[in-house]
Amino acid sequence: MQIMNIFSGRMLKRRISRFLMHGLILVFLTYLLFPLIWMISTSFKPTAEIYSGIPTLIPEVFTVEHYLSVIEEERILISILNSLYVGIITAIIVVLISLPAAYALTRYKTGVNKLVMGWVLTSQIFPAILIMIPLFIILRSLHLTDSLSGLVLVYVVWDIPFVLWMLQGYVKEIPIELEEAAAIDGATQGQIIYKIIMPLLLPAIGAAVLFAFISAWNEFFFALVLLKSPDLTTLPVELARYTGIEGQARTGPLAAASFIATIPSIVLFAILRKWFSSGALQGAVKG
Amino acid sequence: MSKSTTPTVRPRNRNLDQLQLLLPIMVPVLLISFIPLVRGIYIGFTDYELGGQMNFSGLDNYRIMMQDSFFWRSMGVGFLWTAVVTALQIGLGMILALLLNQGLRLTSLYSVLMLVPWAMPPIVRGLMWRQIYSPDTGALNLILTQMGLIDNPINWLASFEWALPAIIVAGVWGEIPKAALFFLAGLKTIPSSLYEAAELDGASAFRKFRHITLPMMKPIMAAVVSLSFMWNFNAFGLIWILTQGGPGGLTRLPMLAAYEEAFRYGYVGYAAAIGNVMVIIISIFLFFYLRVQLKERTG
Amino acid sequence: MNRMISWILNYKGFIIAGLLSVIIISFYIAGEMTAHNRTGEVQTGPLRFLSLAWQEDAVKVVHEITDQWNQLHPEQQVEIIQGNWSAVHDFLITGFETGDIPDIFHYESAIIVDFALRGYLADLSPYISKEMQEDILDVNWASVTRSSGEVIGIPFLTASSIVLYNPDLFAEAGVTPPTIENPWTWDDVHAAAKKLTIDRDGDGVIDQWGTGLGLRNCANVLMNLSISFGGSFFYKDDLGDIEVRVAEPEKKLIGTLARMLFEDKTMAPSGVGKSGTEMIPGFLAGNYAMLVSSGAWARQQLVENAGEGFHWAVMPPIKAITQSMGINTQTLSIPKSCTRQAVAMEFVQYLLSAENTTRLALSDWVLPSRRSSIADPRLQDVASGWNIVSQNTPHLSVGPWVGLPGYVEWKSRVANPTFQEFFAGRMSIEEVAERIENESTSVLARYRVRDLKW
Repeated sequence: MQIMNIFSGRMLKRRISRFLMHGLILVFLTYLLFPLIWMISTSFKPTAEIYSGIPTLIPEVFTVEHYLSVIEEERILISILNSLYVGIITAIIVVLISLPAAYALTRYKTGVNKLVMGWVLTSQIFPAILIMIPLFIILRSLHLTDSLSGLVLVYVVWDIPFVLWMLQGYVKEIPIELEEAAAIDGATQGQIIYKIIMPLLLPAIGAAVLFAFISAWNEFFFALVLLKSPDLTTLPVELARYTGIEGQARTGPLAAASFIATIPSIVLFAILRKWFSSGALQGAVKG
Repeated sequence: MSKSTTPTVRPRNRNLDQLQLLLPIMVPVLLISFIPLVRGIYIGFTDYELGGQMNFSGLDNYRIMMQDSFFWRSMGVGFLWTAVVTALQIGLGMILALLLNQGLRLTSLYSVLMLVPWAMPPIVRGLMWRQIYSPDTGALNLILTQMGLIDNPINWLASFEWALPAIIVAGVWGEIPKAALFFLAGLKTIPSSLYEAAELDGASAFRKFRHITLPMMKPIMAAVVSLSFMWNFNAFGLIWILTQGGPGGLTRLPMLAAYEEAFRYGYVGYAAAIGNVMVIIISIFLFFYLRVQLKERTG
Repeated sequence: MNRMISWILNYKGFIIAGLLSVIIISFYIAGEMTAHNRTGEVQTGPLRFLSLAWQEDAVKVVHEITDQWNQLHPEQQVEIIQGNWSAVHDFLITGFETGDIPDIFHYESAIIVDFALRGYLADLSPYISKEMQEDILDVNWASVTRSSGEVIGIPFLTASSIVLYNPDLFAEAGVTPPTIENPWTWDDVHAAAKKLTIDRDGDGVIDQWGTGLGLRNCANVLMNLSISFGGSFFYKDDLGDIEVRVAEPEKKLIGTLARMLFEDKTMAPSGVGKSGTEMIPGFLAGNYAMLVSSGAWARQQLVENAGEGFHWAVMPPIKAITQSMGINTQTLSIPKSCTRQAVAMEFVQYLLSAENTTRLALSDWVLPSRRSSIADPRLQDVASGWNIVSQNTPHLSVGPWVGLPGYVEWKSRVANPTFQEFFAGRMSIEEVAERIENESTSVLARYRVRDLKW
């Protein structure tokens, strides 16, 4: 009887359509994941095989020589540490200072709101490359060139618009009665923001941390221009060193280093996924 | 007299309270974002060249621009690229989001996997796609030859026919995850009660999509389209690594043209002027687009 | 009193904001004023040297030499900043614009010409030792010396081109390769290429091409080859201004390549969109019997990536009217804003001593600029083709485009796109001539207005 049900009209239609949907998702994932998989495969192939012109997904000869050569280069390890430092500090700072601002923009409705929103929009439009030099000059007068702190400052400011947008929508959702109850109990504004609102915003904060970290981790041009000391490079800038004049590339080590560069973000995704896959962005999309 | 503030009485000194909260972001923003922006815009009205003096030159740059065929060409490429990439990423992102919203098994795994392109630093994306498109050792040619679809390897990034489609494929690839993520979040805000009611009325999947999903997603679609339009029009890094604007300027997007003008030829004032024009074009588009969106919502 | 206190407390936010803004804006203004006045400040600390060495061996050599210097000169240390070719341009441009630039930097003559025209570079001529002056080839000095005698960089490596060939495929086809005494003309190349273009498995698709040529950066290739044809696209007109013409010699050059590509079909069409590097895997796979206009550095790639039993050799430059070839040099320069130019030059002289230059050249597989280095026995080795490379010295030449304001833009806007379209089969030679001559005028005119003198 059970078997008959499986083949009955409506259930069959549902099964087939679910099967097709899985298939379609796999098509998408193939498109999205293929480059990474190819890169990982390349990173485990010896150089001769990479240039041999035979397309194999699984290396005929499995080798970790490229990873070893990458790790041996101290510079890569240093750049990873630098990138981690910059990413984490940026994420923390941008959330801490955007929170009061997001609160201010939702709880108070003044002309300043329009100004801020206007700036959020315009800051995205203007091509970033053309502000590099004026920006650099400002940092120099603050004596923040050639320093990771200078880089953090710039990344924080660049991330504020998006973080504000995300947090703002979520703050709106919090009923004002909670705050009023706390205020009656004698809480200051600061306490309200950090002790009551912040815990409720954790999903949005998780998304904001993710976004800020990845933006900092990935950024290339300004890190290249700002950091001049040998010990102060970030990972993307180091990766660029694997290509030489005339477009030569040390393909094997480059693939290995690129894979290493991708891992932290993927790990973060996996950890924070429960936060943003469900409700975190809803605040942003509603707002 | 007590020094404690009384936050419950909202109307009093609202401006100041708000400003106090905004202070931590206002100062860095002013320094790092606002002042360089103003300066960048101003440079667009000067004749500044690398190593030279900065003299105000009014609208000279813009007059020259009107006659500059390379500028117009890059605008054309820019529009074509932006239109195609935005349309594809929105369409494909929406489809993917819908699929992930069906509650299939392994959806949470799929949701993480689809974000992989976003996890890769843009320079990695560029170098990787360049590898894939490489004529002799690249994955694409190797696979197509193995499958017997082509006889001779195609030089994708240097070919007059294939360069633009090739970079579009790479560009869309990088943008689908974010679009799908936002759409998915938006889809989850639609109450399932609406769908259930529609099912009771016997609506097909397509009708449910057209009459429930689409209208409720309009605001977020408007937001994503606007942001994507801006980001795509300003695209630079990926295309620079892949083609440097070649062959023959076929893939020279406006930002690449501006970068070349400033960093390669030294005409910083002119490049900033190109930047200003790009801002105006994007603003005009956004203005009309959002106006239409707003009308549709209220109408 | 109380009212005043409460007034201040209420407005304290405003006051703080106001004060901060004033401080910030004054910082900014101060920064702006000092932006281009960096020469006053005397810098302390180690000298910063931007090196672009990329091959493992080259990097090692540079570090070794620098360590030696640091041991000998504890009072003036040198710190290496490891740059990379693909990103160095932006790094330097922003460095020049903001005054924060390494004391010594490694780059190439084609580009530092523009830096010099913009006034960024220090004149090194007062510091050059007689020994170095005489040892470096005249043609190398020509690539970095302005008409006033100003020297904007010390050339230490020369990017010259070579022709690689596969002796096994030659033997198979019964073709005798040329010798230094008897080089080939282009007609010889055409004849040999015909014999060397073979369809091995008879499927109608040619598997082995007589010649391969990477034409992605076709402007560079054509410029460098054009000198041997007796014309180089750039001519001085009656007023002494430089104009671009595509006359008989230039058309002959284009025609020679076009013949192999389109008529004889002895040149691999896949080379049209490839850079020199990208041609190497094909050469290693035996797809091309000859690889024309390859860089001398390509030999390093062959040594590293060739499979067992693969043989390669270098043939002398092909003779058109002459065997001359255009070159580009790798240079070390010092910015004008550097406050320690004399000391920096001392390091440069040390780094580029005869022995060190030889080592650098060997590790990068590129021709050195010093006569004594070229004469070094290590550069006469036959198996690695060094003998041919070093014996190319009499044929080295610099084109009239050196120091031409706007050359970079001309290559990128006019030359490369036009030639690329031509080699893709979309234009005729006459159309190429017309387009190049017309567009060059407008592109170069932009620079003439600025009245820059090389």
